[in-house]
Amino acid sequence: MSAPVLDVRSIEKRFGGVHAVADVSFSVAAGEMLALIGPNGAGKSTCFNLVNGQLRADGGEVRLAGRSLAGIAPRAIWRLGVGRTFQITATFASMTVRENVQMALISHHRTLWSFLSRAADKFRAEADALLAQVGMAEQAERPCGVLAYGDLKRLELAVALANDPKLLLMDEPTAGMAPKERTALMELTRGIVRARGLACLFTEHDMDVVFGQADRILVMNRGRLIAEGTAETVRNDPAVREVYLGAGTTSGGH
Amino acid sequence: MLTVTGLNAFYGRAHILHDVSLEARAGEVLVLLGRNGAGKSTTMKSIIGLVRPAQGSSITFDGVEMAGRQPHEIARAGLGYVPEERRIFTDLTVMENLAVGRQPPRDGLAPWTPERLFAIFPNLGRMQDRPGGRMSGGEQQMLTIARTLMGNPRLILLDEPSEGLAPVIVEQMADAIAKLKAEGLAVVLSEQNLHFAARVADAAVIIEKGAVRWQGTLPALENEPEVKAQYLSV
Amino acid sequence: MDFVLIQFLTGLSSASALFLIASGLTVIFGVTRIVNFAHGSFYMLGAYLAWTIVRAFWDWGGREPYLFVAGVIVAAIVVSLIGVAMEMTLLRRIYRAPELFQLLATFGVVLIIQDATLAIWGPEDLPLPRPPWLRGFIEIAGSRFPRYDLILAVIGPVVLGLLWLLFHRTRFGVLVRAATQDREMVAALGVDQRKLFSGVFFLGSALAGLGGALVLPSQSANLQMDLSIIAEAFVVVVVGGMGSVPGAFLASLLIAEVQAFGIVLLPKITLVLVFLVMAAVLMVRPYGLLGKPQAHARAQSGMVEPVLRPAPPILAWAGIAALALAASTPFWAGAYALTVLVELAVFVLFAASLHLMMGPGGVVSFGHAAYFGLGAYGAALGLRYLALPMEAGLVMAPLFAGLFGVVFGVFVVRLSGVYLAMLTLAFAQIVWAAAFQWVDITGGDNGILGVWPSAWATNKSVYLWLSLALCIGATMLLRRFVFSPFGYGLRAARDSELRAEAIGLDTARLRLVAFTIAAAAAGLAGGVYAYAKGSVFPTYISIPKSVDALLMVLLGGVQTVTGPIVGAIAYHGLFVGILQTTQYWRAALGLSIVLLVLAFPLGIAGFARARWERAKGLEAA
Repeated sequence: MSAPVLDVRSIEKRFGGVHAVADVSFSVAAGEMLALIGPNGAGKSTCFNLVNGQLRADGGEVRLAGRSLAGIAPRAIWRLGVGRTFQITATFASMTVRENVQMALISHHRTLWSFLSRAADKFRAEADALLAQVGMAEQAERPCGVLAYGDLKRLELAVALANDPKLLLMDEPTAGMAPKERTALMELTRGIVRARGLACLFTEHDMDVVFGQADRILVMNRGRLIAEGTAETVRNDPAVREVYLGAGTTSGGH
Repeated sequence: MLTVTGLNAFYGRAHILHDVSLEARAGEVLVLLGRNGAGKSTTMKSIIGLVRPAQGSSITFDGVEMAGRQPHEIARAGLGYVPEERRIFTDLTVMENLAVGRQPPRDGLAPWTPERLFAIFPNLGRMQDRPGGRMSGGEQQMLTIARTLMGNPRLILLDEPSEGLAPVIVEQMADAIAKLKAEGLAVVLSEQNLHFAARVADAAVIIEKGAVRWQGTLPALENEPEVKAQYLSV
Repeated sequence: MDFVLIQFLTGLSSASALFLIASGLTVIFGVTRIVNFAHGSFYMLGAYLAWTIVRAFWDWGGREPYLFVAGVIVAAIVVSLIGVAMEMTLLRRIYRAPELFQLLATFGVVLIIQDATLAIWGPEDLPLPRPPWLRGFIEIAGSRFPRYDLILAVIGPVVLGLLWLLFHRTRFGVLVRAATQDREMVAALGVDQRKLFSGVFFLGSALAGLGGALVLPSQSANLQMDLSIIAEAFVVVVVGGMGSVPGAFLASLLIAEVQAFGIVLLPKITLVLVFLVMAAVLMVRPYGLLGKPQAHARAQSGMVEPVLRPAPPILAWAGIAALALAASTPFWAGAYALTVLVELAVFVLFAASLHLMMGPGGVVSFGHAAYFGLGAYGAALGLRYLALPMEAGLVMAPLFAGLFGVVFGVFVVRLSGVYLAMLTLAFAQIVWAAAFQWVDITGGDNGILGVWPSAWATNKSVYLWLSLALCIGATMLLRRFVFSPFGYGLRAARDSELRAEAIGLDTARLRLVAFTIAAAAAGLAGGVYAYAKGSVFPTYISIPKSVDALLMVLLGGVQTVTGPIVGAIAYHGLFVGILQTTQYWRAALGLSIVLLVLAFPLGIAGFARARWERAKGLEAA
């Protein structure tokens, strides 16, 4: 088995007196979809931010393709190959769909500091190819402010893929979407992850998505990992049922 | 109790709601279903007056026209609104948050007091002097509902109450809604989580691209797989 | 040691007055999100009204202390009613407008009140006659200290205590704190926003009026009180944290003590000192001493920046035609027209440079005149100390302004929103104070004279062509930047900082470069202006000059690239040209600003584009 793309070892984070993340270790392999779930405030977001460089760990180590990410700024981590999508979509509202992707490509190809050329002419074909991958090619000319929510999510995915990442970090990728759209987006993601050999780490509250799309699931509570494994293992874990899943009456019987 | 007829709404020049009509009855839970951006939140904001309904829209509450009135007038008429994203006052304590929502008692209803609310939301009772900003997402969601109840509404609008919450908290939310219904409140909620809707709601309205596409009882919806597939992407 | 104690007490007494003004300002901002420029005018009105009312009371019942107190209170109440009137007639209509529009509307009120005060009370300073009990001294540590100042020193903490009780023990207070966070939600919970807002304006204006009335015995009522106090009050509010009353208290203590000791220890830089303290505080605490990050104002009406499209070709042709017309003026118009056209060219560039920051950059600079002035002074100082000719001076101007742009920009781009606007204002005031106070080098108020063009350009026609070439050329270059990868990156940073950083864009650096370019361009405009006028003065850097630039951009519309050009022409051509011929031009200008804000919230070019897009059926964001 090849080395994992993302390797997290015993990371720690404290905020004041609160132990937000305590001794958490996990890894994600190429082509793998790993879900991180847990109650609100369990430390999932903190964990995410430790990986993407927004926060600095108090202890432990995060490695991307064998390289330690300690002390590297978020922008530099992006250059090392980490694409991100956000819980609440973050796109450039004053640009068209294509221009959003072009912007990411301009940054990726390091042609930002050009003052006289026209940005709209840069990397058009490459942008259109990425949009085609997520099924957004026909909407390339539309202002992204008028897109339907599901389409914004797909645009975000195209933007996240623009730097040809090794690792995809998705924070509640399906929040606010309809059931079928959720599944469709994550199947799309899963196809791309498999085809490109990316590693994908995501958080999610929709149990249909988690149990249907993740290869492996991590469960956090109060800053610690309390369970890890396949859908079956996690679903039958009494501790997970108690702190997170409940009786399953409002989450489709999971 | 609440009758919406021919509701149209705009954001700037964008036409968001097209002739939305719906009715909520006393003692019932009505759920608005639809995709994100379908117009559920805008419908709720139009009812409470945060978005101005276009000319010709009618929103009557107990027979009184509400369209075009200010939000505070509508709230004082007995319509409670619980926004998505919670919007609690993070600098204020739990008790102060509740104080902001307080309104005079209404005839025929036992007025809500912090004590009665703490019976439904026991967590809140244990953190009365805690600032809202230092509560977890689930606790904030409970507080935002309790705060609205302090206005003694006879109908409560809940915008996406289960969004972003752990399944176990969502179950507590469903229990709380059942208790409110038992108190005689009418409830209108918007949802994406069909499992949750099926558990708490009596009737449903499906909204898609700003217009009502289907309405009926929840059991009736269960028997319409095509409707569910077309509009709810189930 | 005695000196320290006395200076400290002096500081305390001025801290009280400052706190009264600043607490009102901060409460109003907290709830309504309006940065109320007219707050300084209310302070001024408090002083003038107290002068009239207290004297009337004394004429009736003798110069008794209790009548002084009664007069001060009545004055404060009258001021608070004026504040409520402004809220109800003007601000109520623009609560949903962009914050800059609100700020300009209140600046319009400043101008109106200035002229109204001038018309009612005349241009002379009005001191209050001081009966013996107002002139009394107290012996402290062997020195005589004015008794009235001691009373003032106590009033500040007392008012702080009363405000605390109001905000924590009354329903009104709890509602105000709630509305400070989310006023829309407060309305949805059944609270009448209008009453709450009017109540807040009543309270805030009363505090300002009280402050003005209370300083009357130690100063005199004068027409400069409004703008001099408002700059200080902004500093206090920003240093304390916008919306925080205890923060305003701490900050007024800090600022007043810095002034009290600074005036003795560092008399040469007193004006600069306050703003240096502010810059230092914001370095360490970007949201002030007790402030919190501003919750991003909710997009209440779904306001999104529209997609930026290149202008339609017809506009380009219209531009070329206008330029050709301007360049041909020497052949068919007189000397005055040439002078006006040079000014126009200068202001087009001045406005366009500010627009780069405000539009694509999303950074509202409230002190853009600093760079205009630095350009002008750069050229003038080059002439005075290095004997630089005009050609070198015009290179010096953008370099000098750009250099300061980098230095100030490093601090500015770390902040956002109102804090950023206030820091830019503070930097502009530092530059102004340096030009004003550093008489040996800058000539102070008298400015630097004799800044004339080189021999070949002294001809007015030639200088017009030179101005057009430099200013319009630079403006076109700025336009080009907007559509370049750099310009896109700048807009990306504005649209979503989170996403921009997540795709590897260094947003702070993008803004810094934009800030520097904008500063340099404004500097060039200032340089061209200096040689056109033959002189430079501190007024080039004053607050009204910065407001001019803002007005030009807003008049044209922030959301279009053509906006600032149209705005500069409309503003300079129409308003200044026509209005300055009337005696009460301030009031006329103020009224125009107010009407403009009410009638054209998108600006002229924005209004035209909305029409154009609607006609074309283009999808709007």
